[in-house]
Amino acid sequence: MTDLLQLLFAGLSQGAVYALVAIGFVAIFTVSGVINLAQGEFAALAGLVAISAVGSGLPLLAAVVLAVLSVALVAVIMERLVIFPVKRMTTLVSLILTLGVSTGLKALMLLVYGPNAEGLTPLTPGSFSLGGVSIRYQELWILLIAGVVSLAVYWFYERTLAGKSLRACAEQPVAARLVGISLTKASLLSFLIAGTVGAIAGVLASPIYFTSWESGLTLGLKGFVAATLGGLISVRGAVLGGLLLGVLETLTAGYISTGLRDAVAFLLLIIVLVARPAGIFGRTAEARV
Amino acid sequence: MSLEVRGLHAGYGRLAVLHGIDLTAGEGELVAVIGANGAGKSTLLRALSGLLPVTSGTVHLAGTDVTGYGPEKLARTGLAHVPENRLVFPSLSVADNLVLGGYTRRRGPAAARKEARDRAMALFPRLEPRLEQAAGTLSGGEQQMLAIARGLMAQPRVLVLDEPSVGLAPRLVGEIFSALGQLRDDGLTLVVVEQNARAAFAVADRVSVMDRGRVVLEGDPAALSTDPRVSGGFLGGGFAADADATTEAAPATGATRAADRR
Ligand SMILES: Nc1ncnc2c1ncn2[C@@H]1O[C@H](COP(=O)(O)OP(=O)(O)O)[C@@H](O)[C@H]1O
Ligand SMILES: [Mg+2]
Repeated sequence: MTDLLQLLFAGLSQGAVYALVAIGFVAIFTVSGVINLAQGEFAALAGLVAISAVGSGLPLLAAVVLAVLSVALVAVIMERLVIFPVKRMTTLVSLILTLGVSTGLKALMLLVYGPNAEGLTPLTPGSFSLGGVSIRYQELWILLIAGVVSLAVYWFYERTLAGKSLRACAEQPVAARLVGISLTKASLLSFLIAGTVGAIAGVLASPIYFTSWESGLTLGLKGFVAATLGGLISVRGAVLGGLLLGVLETLTAGYISTGLRDAVAFLLLIIVLVARPAGIFGRTAEARV
Repeated sequence: MSLEVRGLHAGYGRLAVLHGIDLTAGEGELVAVIGANGAGKSTLLRALSGLLPVTSGTVHLAGTDVTGYGPEKLARTGLAHVPENRLVFPSLSVADNLVLGGYTRRRGPAAARKEARDRAMALFPRLEPRLEQAAGTLSGGEQQMLAIARGLMAQPRVLVLDEPSVGLAPRLVGEIFSALGQLRDDGLTLVVVEQNARAAFAVADRVSVMDRGRVVLEGDPAALSTDPRVSGGFLGGGFAADADATTEAAPATGATRAADRR
């Protein structure tokens, strides 16, 4: 029983990281149909920027803020340079373009930060034991911050005019233009959101899961699977998908074999794409965001 | 003149669809543009509202040359386009659809936004009890009313509508056209594109008939409705007999519409 609780807890905290990455995929895909393969690199880059900033003497919080802001800026620049100039964007074209950005960012990170994996200093070091379950303070931080960020994003789409305008672009782009919403600004805003949540995921995960120039690959894939579980167009679905994936992975690793951990995501992806392409939490087209 | 179109040419890439359209709508005037499927009516409205680039010709809105403006800027300048097939935002509530209709006025006075909304509600009281409902769950007629109300939220000077009667029962068509007449009486300028000539003739101040990208006839609805060229050729098979059949969305027209939408 304690084992199960331990695994569930570890799975939720891992899953919360996937959930944030997944929100990034959803934010961009809903507005422009772009699947951003550089989403995982946003997280890795944020981790590396924070680690090196702490290494050069910046206080942890300042380093985290710096990392999130720089990655948000990178995401915005990426949109302007790579997505904006394309006249007729299709999902296939977007895959090719963002794969290019992802590769470029990886090369840049390798060049600047070297090949080693490192962990950021945790917000609160150490752990405690609760009924036999060992809990790291950083895991609590992950759950707390990921929860707050997810709610904030959800609130943004449901309650603010800017959020509603993004949903309008996703649902009826022509009508959105006719009421005066600029699709190019909407796309830029969606990258800003994706960059920010991706970066937050990266700095939260780094103390436990470590960061290297190539850690964005797995994180991005897991986030993509999580988003797909939720149908790729729903923030709520992305969060649930992330948590589910995290828990299933840890349970598999704990009860079957650690070697199978990474296979879970792909198994889930295949099952969902074959059985329920709209996602397992997706209701109808009405259930967006 | 609220809307003045001169020698307008537009099309899709290399395909020229409009070949020099002239169209005028004075302040507080309701102009109907009728024509068979494929005549270029929707293309005309898309060019007017900036969705399509204009190849040549000019568009003036309340004296301002707005040729080449994008849809955003045109919406802000005072042209609202109620598109073909309504295109409401389905998962957003009716209230949010209205809020987004006023997107270009978001930094304007709240009182003006509230007034626009109150007027839209007074025009279409059926929407009031449905404000919190997702727009996608409304009936076709209610969606059309919402699309018009959303256009009005932009506080336009000129409202252009693309086939508001499509797929609606005659009673609803009557309701919608009487609302358009009311808007005209309040001083709004309207251009209504229709295949349903009968509904359009009943309220229009003036009618233009389009055929293959050109305005081929123009004039007073009373005079035009008896013109054999209108009932015969340009509407693809007569307007008196045809009008009610088109409003009921017979399976055949449904199929052509589906093709049209892509
Ligand atoms: N998106 C488009 N791309 C290419 N051609 C189009 C497009 N939309 C309409 N057309 C063509 O333009 C012509 C006029 O169409 P349209 O303006 O939709 O006519 P109407 O609204 O009067 O039925 C038709 O020949 C149609 O095939
Ligand atoms: Mg049309």
